[in-house]
Amino acid sequence: MQKLELQQVYKTFGDLNVLEDVNLSVKKGEFVAIVGPSGCGKSTALRMFAGLEFPDRGQVLADGKPITGPDPSRTLIFQEHALYPWRTVEQNVIFGLELAGMKKTETKERVERVLKLVGLQDFASYYPSQLSGGMKQRAAIARALVMDPEVLLLDEPYGALDAITRMTMQNELIDLWQGSGKSMLLITHDMDEAIYLADRIYVFSRRPGTVVREIINDMPRPRLRNDARFLELRAEMMEHLQI
Amino acid sequence: MTQKKIWPFIAAVGSLLVLWQAASFLYDDFILPDVYTVFSSMLFERLWEPEFLDSLQHSMFRLAVGYPIACLLGAMLGLFAGISRHFAVYLRSVIAILQSIPPITWLPFLVILLNFGNLPIIIIIIIASFFPMALSVMNATEGVNRTHIELARVLGAKRGQLLTKVYLPESLPAFVTGAQVAFGNSWRSLIASEMVGGASVGLGRSISFAGEIADMEGVIMHIVIIGFIAVLLDHVVLERLKRRLLRWRYVGQSSS
Repeated sequence: MQKLELQQVYKTFGDLNVLEDVNLSVKKGEFVAIVGPSGCGKSTALRMFAGLEFPDRGQVLADGKPITGPDPSRTLIFQEHALYPWRTVEQNVIFGLELAGMKKTETKERVERVLKLVGLQDFASYYPSQLSGGMKQRAAIARALVMDPEVLLLDEPYGALDAITRMTMQNELIDLWQGSGKSMLLITHDMDEAIYLADRIYVFSRRPGTVVREIINDMPRPRLRNDARFLELRAEMMEHLQI
Repeated sequence: MTQKKIWPFIAAVGSLLVLWQAASFLYDDFILPDVYTVFSSMLFERLWEPEFLDSLQHSMFRLAVGYPIACLLGAMLGLFAGISRHFAVYLRSVIAILQSIPPITWLPFLVILLNFGNLPIIIIIIIASFFPMALSVMNATEGVNRTHIELARVLGAKRGQLLTKVYLPESLPAFVTGAQVAFGNSWRSLIASEMVGGASVGLGRSISFAGEIADMEGVIMHIVIIGFIAVLLDHVVLERLKRRLLRWRYVGQSSS
């Protein structure tokens, strides 16, 4: 399993200062969240770990080595589910294994297992257009899990879902993560989501984004969303977000 | 054609036939024969005459050569333009020039250059129909969803895999629409160039000959047949192909 780090990272897009002196880390097996206002560069930070963006200054490290490009051991789950509309759920899930040149006979069992894990075993032959928003995101998660990645990078994965589906999916995500040993990095603008899920939360400032606060969340799981400590953490976060 | 479209289509054909039949009452038979006369002589006699079959065969041959070449050429130019920005600008200007000249105007030029026969007509088919394909494929490759590409890269896709597993399936709908528009252009320019004297045999040549000798029955018969072939190829053959290739677009709809 991998440890991820950003060390004194700066990034600009044209004249736009996106990240300024960002330092953060994700320990092996840890669940970390980044919370910040929209446009604060938190997605850019995540995309650096995915190998899709590179810093202007500073270092992006996985296990102490600089990240030079995408790697299937670190899988990104996108904001919009980004399933391929011309592939069925099963064909979408198999995609990464297919790219790696794995044979159909080897992949079959793995695909069935992850589909079951996310509860889509009966929808294997459906096209994305036939699924609800929550099911699409589940399929996207299955597609990432089938690669058995060491790190899951989640870019506001539940942003487009309704509140009830979102909470159900958060519970499912915790179940998938606990005991897996995977490191998780979640980008969100939903403070409750961060407190409910993460061991540690980085609060980002407005653009140019930088870490204004690191919150250690010691609440035992399963967490209660209306617990006193939950509200306390929330108040602390709001203070640093200046809301 | 799908169930939903088939009844309106039959109604459209029916209303044209009714108009024709009504008009035929106003004219003498040799000026405007009625529906029954034309169809019976067409189905029982003229369709089977060797001259007709010969002209049909010639036209279909020109189409069968020109149309696939146009599609292939258009697709290749479009794909290349999707990758290279400079070439895209160049291709757009070429197409803008070619589009402002009706393809049929090239015929005298090509006939002087290449003599009568299949070649000038095939070239006109290509000129007329490569560009809808090129434009449609070019727009599709330029507009490939960025997230789809990034996703493939994150999951470990190499350059070639990006092309075959993302670019190609993503632009497939554009290939199909391009091919359908290109077919319409091919067919029109084929018949037109045969009519204005690109060749001595062909459906277009036959209809203008029928006009020259005031054979109204022959004229109408050719109109019917030219329309029938186009509908058959476009709305039945190409439409089926489209539904097969793009099955994912039609799932969950009543007709599939």
